[in-house]
Amino acid sequence: MSVATKILRPFFFPSFTSGFFIRMGTVALSAYLFFGYLCIPFWVRGASMEPTYMDGEFNFCWRGRYFFSEPKRYDVVTVRFAGTKVMLLKRVVALEGEQVEFRNGKLFVDGREEEEPYIRFPGNWNLPVRQVAQGCVYVVGDHRGMPMENHYFGQASKIRIMGGPVW
Amino acid sequence: MVKGRLILSGFILIAGLLAVVHLYPSEEKKIKKQFSLLAKWISVEQNENVFTIAHKMKNMGDLFTDKVNLKIPDYHLSGEYSRSDIISYASRARLPFSQFTLQFHDFHMAFPDSETVRVTVTGRITGKWLKEEALEETRELDWILKKVGKEWLFREMEVVEVLKK
Repeated sequence: MSVATKILRPFFFPSFTSGFFIRMGTVALSAYLFFGYLCIPFWVRGASMEPTYMDGEFNFCWRGRYFFSEPKRYDVVTVRFAGTKVMLLKRVVALEGEQVEFRNGKLFVDGREEEEPYIRFPGNWNLPVRQVAQGCVYVVGDHRGMPMENHYFGQASKIRIMGGPVW
Repeated sequence: MVKGRLILSGFILIAGLLAVVHLYPSEEKKIKKQFSLLAKWISVEQNENVFTIAHKMKNMGDLFTDKVNLKIPDYHLSGEYSRSDIISYASRARLPFSQFTLQFHDFHMAFPDSETVRVTVTGRITGKWLKEEALEETRELDWILKKVGKEWLFREMEVVEVLKK
């Protein structure tokens, strides 16, 4: 019996022993827990984060990112609705207690204009000053070229932040 | 021989359990079915005729109680509405679309009493306007359903503000 047959045959045509079923069960359960709760695969739908994340891209939401830390400014985060099946992908632009506003498309936090190197499609948004509530962060997409009315953004409770994209 | 009988008994037991589950669905399953019916009746398919629309709207109306509380700030809807109001609003809301689908995900159910259920769910609408522009929106929805007879009917709906501008 050749080496290839010795290795490949049991790999592709395993004998259904109790050990095989235990291994298979362990792998299936680990994969279910890992990809279902810890590193959730998702497709990007919509253009609100372009060009950083393009419509149709694939990624994973790593939930461990904020296990021991808080979301920071400019982090890209996933925000959940009722669960993790559909989530929003947005960028944190202001933290709790800060004042945020848009003037002619420029972002101002606590009255200071912010540098946003990730913006490739600037717009002319105008949004009066508002304070980010305690326990919340202010999230916005990178695509500011789209009309403000069509762009879903605002302050989100930190409880809703599930993690961030792996890449 | 004994092994074969054991396997056969196992299969019969599993088939019996599946039949029981199918014939006597749990309350959760019944509630999820109401949501899938709502999604089915509210959907817009291409080239629907007047009779199909009327049939769909009537069936959709039957899923609601006589009085329904709605809170949808985006569309300036807030207060108590009758079943006919709901049908009329839904009919008007469907008009500008050539295609429209509604999907529900991530059901969370709580039963304050045996006749009431509070369902928090993600609602996702996708569609095409008559101008051929695509539509895709997702919102978290808070529903209250009441058990009337053997059926769960929609009594209240509120759009949860996930991002507050």
